[in-house]
Amino acid sequence: MQNLTLSFTFNDFLLMLRGAGITFVLTIASGAAGTLLGFLVGWGRSAPSRLLRHLLGAYIEVVRSVPLIIQFVLFNSFMAIVGHPMNPFVSGLLTLSIYISAYVAEVVKAGIDSVPRRTRMAARGLGMSYLQDFVHVVVPIGTRTVFPAWTGLMLGLMKDTSLIAVLGASPPELLRASQIIITRIQEPLMILLGAGVFYFVMCAVIAAASKRYETRWRREQETWQ
Amino acid sequence: MGNKIDPVKWVIINDFGIMLDYRFQWRVVFKHWPELIQAGLLTLEITVLSIVIGMALAMALAVCRKAENPVARWIAATWVALARNTPALLQIYMAYFGLGAFGLHLSPYTSVLAAISFNNAGYLTEILRGGMDSVSPAQHRAARGLGMNRLQAYLYIIFPQVLRAVFLPVVNQIIWAMLGTSLGMIIGLQELTGMTTFLQSQTFRPFEFYLAAALIYLVIAKIATTAAHLTAARLFKG
Repeated sequence: MQNLTLSFTFNDFLLMLRGAGITFVLTIASGAAGTLLGFLVGWGRSAPSRLLRHLLGAYIEVVRSVPLIIQFVLFNSFMAIVGHPMNPFVSGLLTLSIYISAYVAEVVKAGIDSVPRRTRMAARGLGMSYLQDFVHVVVPIGTRTVFPAWTGLMLGLMKDTSLIAVLGASPPELLRASQIIITRIQEPLMILLGAGVFYFVMCAVIAAASKRYETRWRREQETWQ
Repeated sequence: MGNKIDPVKWVIINDFGIMLDYRFQWRVVFKHWPELIQAGLLTLEITVLSIVIGMALAMALAVCRKAENPVARWIAATWVALARNTPALLQIYMAYFGLGAFGLHLSPYTSVLAAISFNNAGYLTEILRGGMDSVSPAQHRAARGLGMNRLQAYLYIIFPQVLRAVFLPVVNQIIWAMLGTSLGMIIGLQELTGMTTFLQSQTFRPFEFYLAAALIYLVIAKIATTAAHLTAARLFKG
């Protein structure tokens, strides 16, 4: 018991650092999966089939109006009910992907709608197939329009990964790690401030990187004209 | 209690073709329906209050961002950056645990309301700023020229136009606020999510209770957006 200490140790710092790493990994993994799924859903929403549009619209509305905590628990117990009990970390990761996909789908839809009809008609008039028009015209133009919105979603996702703690997922991410340390050393303010700085810096770095891409694109566009 | 329940048997076939059955038991959910509805009303209450408080703060902050006074500008910029770049859960922890260091011990209800209002204010300020760029500065000068003071000009001339321009993002923010109140469960507030967690731990029917809660959240979101649309139709007609 001589290792029991009630002050902040280097190991605590390591735990928080590892937590920040887990937060980052969770964000990247669920961000990638969610963007892929959201892209398909958003694309599907621009399809001519009315049934498909309504179904996907309902999916988006439900996912966007139910709190993430509830989605975590529902998904976790649903998988157990159908006979695939999952590791909380994995089921949390999947839930985060589903959750963010609904928001990405809205952004993708906005991106597709932002491409002027005439541009698409011109592409088709040049002999492009639907798929060629989509890949070479709609995606590049639309991506640039909605890129800032997408970055905002990814930042939101990073902050929402903190809720995975309700499933008791391990290893703990940043906020859960802070909570564990607070429980032991009873010094909430400093630890929370530290965690806040971590999040703040990670957000600032991503936001700055996205801003650089935007300005580069804008400069490229100017040189074309 | 158990022998009276007439379970609806749902058979789900998983991908290996093995039959699994899970007995949904809805009766116990119906039995606790009043508690769920009451908790749902608490969620609605915190959502509405946090949006009203957040909007009032955001209007002040949006004006501060445009002020000549550098201190006012700094306060507004810092508020927005802090609210938007840290998780809402961290903000709730800050209000509930962190403020204790200053001798300020808030109840879970006050902590959640304060944190979500703080969060709303940050996001709404950015939304309002976008809207204010769409209102011509000549409007402000004209209002001042008519003898209005600064407050009157913002309250009667600028913000009505801004709110009309930013209506949709504000509705989204209302939904965000509602989702944010669910974090209250983590610090022991018995709003809808907290109450659901409590009830399922008493009855061991997590799936049914959380499904019911999800349904109530959907209804609350529908009520909030419909109310916002109706208000907008009244305020902005003509």
